[in-house]
Amino acid sequence: MYDFTIIGGGVIGTLIARELSRYEGKVLLVDKENDLGNHATLANSAIIHSGHDPKPGTLKAKLAVEGNALYDQLAKDLDIPLLRTGAYVVAHDDEEINVLNDLIDRAKANSVNDYALLDGDTARKADPNISKTIKKVLSLPSTKVTYPWEIALAAMENALANGAEYRLNYEVKAITQTATHFILENQNGEKLTTHAIINAAGTFADLVAKMVESNVEYTITPRRGEYFVLDKQVKGFIKHILYPVPSNKGKGVLLVPQVHGNILLGPTSNFQDARETVGNHASDLEQIREDANRLADGIPYDLIIRTFAGLRATSTHDDFYIQASKTVKNFYHVAGIDSPGLTAAPAIARYVIDHLLQPKHTLTKKTHFNPIRKKPSVFHTLDKQSQHDLMKQNPLYGHIVCKCERISEAEIIDHINRPCGSSTIKGVKKRARAGSGLCQGGYCESDVLRIISEVKKIDKTRIDYYALNTPILREETKVKK
Amino acid sequence: MKDIVIIGGGAGGLAAALEAFDPSLDIMLVEREKHLGGILNQCIHNGFGLHVFDEELTGPEYAERFIQAFHDKKIPCLMETTILEIRKENDVFLIEASNKQDGLFTIKSKSIVLSSGCYERTRGQIQLPGERPKGIMPAGSAQRYLNIEGYLVGKDVFVLGSGDIGLIMARRMKLEGANVLGVAEIMPYSNGLTRNIVQCLDDYDIPLYLSHTVTDIVGKDCLESITISEVDADFKPIKGSEKQFDVDTLLLSVGLIPDTMVLESMPIALHPKTKGPTVDQTYQTSVEGLFVCGNALHVHDLVDYVTDESKRAGQFAKLFVQKPFKKPPSPIAIEANQNIHYVMPSSINPSVDLDTIHCAYRVTTKAEVGEVTLAQGDHIIKTQKVRFMAPAEMEHLTFTLNDLINHKDPITLTMEVIK
Ligand SMILES: Cc1cc2nc3c(=O)[nH]c(=O)nc-3n(C[C@H](O)[C@H](O)[C@H](O)COP(=O)(O)OP(=O)(O)OC[C@H]3O[C@@H](n4cnc5c(N)ncnc54)[C@H](O)[C@@H]3O)c2cc1C
Ligand SMILES: Cc1cc2nc3c(=O)[nH]c(=O)nc-3n(C[C@H](O)[C@H](O)[C@H](O)COP(=O)(O)OP(=O)(O)OC[C@H]3O[C@@H](n4cnc5c(N)ncnc54)[C@H](O)[C@@H]3O)c2cc1C
Repeated sequence: MYDFTIIGGGVIGTLIARELSRYEGKVLLVDKENDLGNHATLANSAIIHSGHDPKPGTLKAKLAVEGNALYDQLAKDLDIPLLRTGAYVVAHDDEEINVLNDLIDRAKANSVNDYALLDGDTARKADPNISKTIKKVLSLPSTKVTYPWEIALAAMENALANGAEYRLNYEVKAITQTATHFILENQNGEKLTTHAIINAAGTFADLVAKMVESNVEYTITPRRGEYFVLDKQVKGFIKHILYPVPSNKGKGVLLVPQVHGNILLGPTSNFQDARETVGNHASDLEQIREDANRLADGIPYDLIIRTFAGLRATSTHDDFYIQASKTVKNFYHVAGIDSPGLTAAPAIARYVIDHLLQPKHTLTKKTHFNPIRKKPSVFHTLDKQSQHDLMKQNPLYGHIVCKCERISEAEIIDHINRPCGSSTIKGVKKRARAGSGLCQGGYCESDVLRIISEVKKIDKTRIDYYALNTPILREETKVKK
Repeated sequence: MKDIVIIGGGAGGLAAALEAFDPSLDIMLVEREKHLGGILNQCIHNGFGLHVFDEELTGPEYAERFIQAFHDKKIPCLMETTILEIRKENDVFLIEASNKQDGLFTIKSKSIVLSSGCYERTRGQIQLPGERPKGIMPAGSAQRYLNIEGYLVGKDVFVLGSGDIGLIMARRMKLEGANVLGVAEIMPYSNGLTRNIVQCLDDYDIPLYLSHTVTDIVGKDCLESITISEVDADFKPIKGSEKQFDVDTLLLSVGLIPDTMVLESMPIALHPKTKGPTVDQTYQTSVEGLFVCGNALHVHDLVDYVTDESKRAGQFAKLFVQKPFKKPPSPIAIEANQNIHYVMPSSINPSVDLDTIHCAYRVTTKAEVGEVTLAQGDHIIKTQKVRFMAPAEMEHLTFTLNDLINHKDPITLTMEVIK
C-alpha cells in the first residue's frame, strides 16, 4: 500500500514526487509511457518565463513568479542547465507599443520588477539580428531557458534516491475507492493500492479524474504547438528570447535560444480533439516562418534539423486547477497545467504540499533527505585533467559515438545504467543527446543500438525505438529459419 | 608535427593518401571506423569502377584495391579515431582527435586533406508533415543495417526521393522479401542515375511516382501509413490526388550533404549550392593548407570521380608542403550561369600553373543534347556538345591557364539545351 500515488511522470508529477520524498511515507509515481517526461514536458519552448504575462491574481501569475525564483536553487540541487538569456517582447508600431505598456502594468501587478523598455536600436545593439522594423522592446532579464525533460528525469532520480518509486508502462485505466484507500488498475489488470492520489496526467487529467469523480469541474482541450529546431551552428544568431506582443491566441511564435546552442522557432496554437496525436501540419509550419520573420531578419531556415509538436493541457477553468477534490477524499487535482507550467513547476510542487497535502495528512520531514543529484559527466565539456582521470577509469570515454554532439560510449552506457536510465534509442537521445545533432542519428543510431544490446544483453531485434514493441530492426536476415 | 593529415579513409581519403605519400614526408590518415573503405563497405551492389578500372566491381571490391595499395605503401593510419575539430594557430593546424587508447588529444600538422564524406538529409530537414513514429529513416541507414549488420528494418516499404541510395535500397529490400510499394519523387524527373531507375525499379515493377511527395504520416508509436500527393509546378500538393499506403517503413533518399562538421570553428564559407566548402583548382579552401575532396566537398554519384578528384587533391597537398604556394589576393572566379547548377572549383589560383584544370559541374535541367560553353567575357574558352545531360549526373570539362585572356575577369559556364 502506498501513501501517495502520482499519476503522470511529466515535469509536474516528478517534481511533486521529489517534494514528497522529503517526508516519511511510501510514494509511487506511475506513467503510461515507456519513459518519463514524454508529453508536454518533451515538447515545449523550454522557457522559464519571468511571470509578467499571466492575469494578475491568478495561480498562474503567483506560481510562475515563484517558480522562476525557485529555479536557481533547483538547478543547483539537481545539476540541470539554465541559460540566462533574458527576453525581449518586441513592438513594431504604436498599437503594439501600447500592448507593451499594458504588459508593464501586468508585470508590476505580478511583482515582476526587473524590466526595462528599450528602443529598437538599443535592443539591436545587444542582438543585431532583431528585425529592423522593431521600434521598442520590453526587456525581461529574469527570463531564462532550461532543458525540460532533464528536470523530470533529474527530479525522479533524486526522488528515487530519497525512497520514492516509479513504474513505467502503467496506464491507469480504472480507479476504485474503498472506505480506506484507492485501487488503481492498469491496461493489463494489474492492481495497486494507495491512500491518496495526485492527478498530474497532463492532457488526460480530466479523464483520469472522471474515473473517480462524477462532476469534474474542468475539461481539457489540447492546444497544439508546432516548432522548428535549428542546428547548433546557429548559436549566437540571437541572444535573447524574442516574443511578439501577446494576442488572444497566446504568446505567439517565438525565437528561443536553447541551452545546447540550438534555436527553437514556434509554437503555433491550434485546438484539437486528440489527446496525444501530435503530428506536424504544413499550414502550421508555414505560419511559423511567417510569424518568425517579424522577429528577426535573415533567419537561417536551411539549418532546420527537425520539426516537432506538443500539446498544452488547456482547460475550461482558465487557470491552473490545483485543488483537493471537493467530493472524493484524498484525491488531488493538478490539472490544466498549460503554459507557464514548466516555469511554475517547482512552485506547483511546493504548493501541492503546503496547501493541499499538509492540511489533510500528517507529513513528517525525513531526517536524511538529500536534495542533491549529480548529473552524469559530459566528457567533452570537462577540463583536461578531469578528462584524463576519467579516461584512466574507462577508456570508452575516448570512443566518440555521436560525432555531432561529441558523445562517447562511456556516457551512453552511463545513461543506460543509471537510476531513471533508459534502454531505448530515443531514451538515450533524450539523456545523452546522441542523435540530437545535424545528422539526427544517421551516424550513431546503429552504434547506440549495439551498445544498448551489449549492456542489457538482449538481442538487437528486441531493442525498442521508444515505446514498448517498437524495435528498429524487424528481423535478422542471415539466420536460417 | 605532421606534414599532411588525411581525415577519412573512404574512397577519397585513400586516393588522396596514395598520391600524397612520399618517403620524405610525414603523413597520416585518420579513420573513425574499424575498417577502411568508408561508404563503399555497405554498397554491396556492383557498378563501381567502370571509369577507373574499366570493370564493374562491388563497393567493397573497389575499396579493397585501394586499401591493398595503401597497406603496401605502409602509410601510417590511426583507426577508430574520430576527429572532432580543426583549428589553426600560427600557421599550424591543431586537429582535435579522440580514441579509446589516448582519449582526447591534439595532432599538429602543416596541412590537411579533409575527406570525411557526406551525411544523409533527414526528415526534419525537409519538414515532412504528420506524426513522428519509428519506421522513418534515411535509406543509407537502412542499407547499413541490412548490408553490414544483417538486419531488415521493415516488411512493407515506401521510398521518398529517387536518389541513388533510395533506388538501390528499393531493390535490395525487395530481394530480401520486403514488399516495396513505390518510390515518390517531388521533381518531375528522377534524381538518380538512369541505370538505377531501370535496374532497380523497372526490372522489379516498383512504381515511380514523379511530381509526388509525402503529405501525411500516421502512427503513434510505429509507422502505420503514409499519404502521397501529386504536386503542382510550385511543389504545392494538389487536393484530390492523395494515395494512401499502409507501410511500416518509409525510407528517405532526399539528398546527401557534405559532412564538414569538423570545420565548424574555421572561417570557411560554404558553397550555397553544394553545401560544402568552396575551393580553387588545387582543392584548397580559403584557409591555406586545408584541402577538401570527395563527398565532403560535393556529393558525387560515381566513386570513380571521387577517386580522380581526390588523387588531385592529394597531389596538391604534397606540392603545398614541398613548395608552398600562396593564395592569390584575387583568384579568378568561375561562375555557374544559364542552366548550370554549380561548378567545382569555384575559383582558379593563377599562381599555380599546371597542364590541366579539371572542372566538375551539374546542370539544372535535362537535355538530350546540350551545348556547354566556358567563356571569359566575350571570349569563348571552350564549347562542347554533351549528350544526355541531367541534374543527377555530374559532368566534367578541362582547360588550361593558357586558354584564358587575362587573370582577372571571371570565367562563366553555361549550357544551352539543343534538344
Ligand atoms: C507547445 C508548448 C509550449 C510550452 N512552452 C512553455 C514554456 O516555454 N514555458 C513554460 O513554463 N511552460 C511551457 N509549456 C507548458 C509546459 O510544457 C507544461 O505545463 C508542462 O510540461 C506540463 O507538465 P505535466 O507534467 O503536467 O504534463 P506532461 O508532461 O504532459 O505529463 C503528463 C503525463 O501523464 C501521463 N499520463 C496521462 N494519462 C495517464 C494515465 N491514465 N496513466 C498513467 N499516466 C498517464 C502521460 O503519459 C504524461 O507523461 C508549453 C507547453 C506546450 C505544449
Ligand atoms: C549508398 C550509396 C550508393 C552508391 N552507389 C554507387 C555506385 O553504384 N557506383 C559508384 O560508382 N558510386 C556509387 N556511390 C558513390 C561513391 O561510392 C561515394 O561517393 C564514394 O565512395 C565516397 O567516398 P568518400 O571518400 O568521399 O566518402 P566516404 O566513403 O563516406 O568516406 C568518408 C570516411 O571518412 C570517415 N570520417 C568521417 N568523418 C570523420 C571524422 N570526423 N574523423 C575520422 N574519420 C571520419 C568515415 O568514417 C568514412 O570512412 C554510392 C554512394 C552511396 C552513399
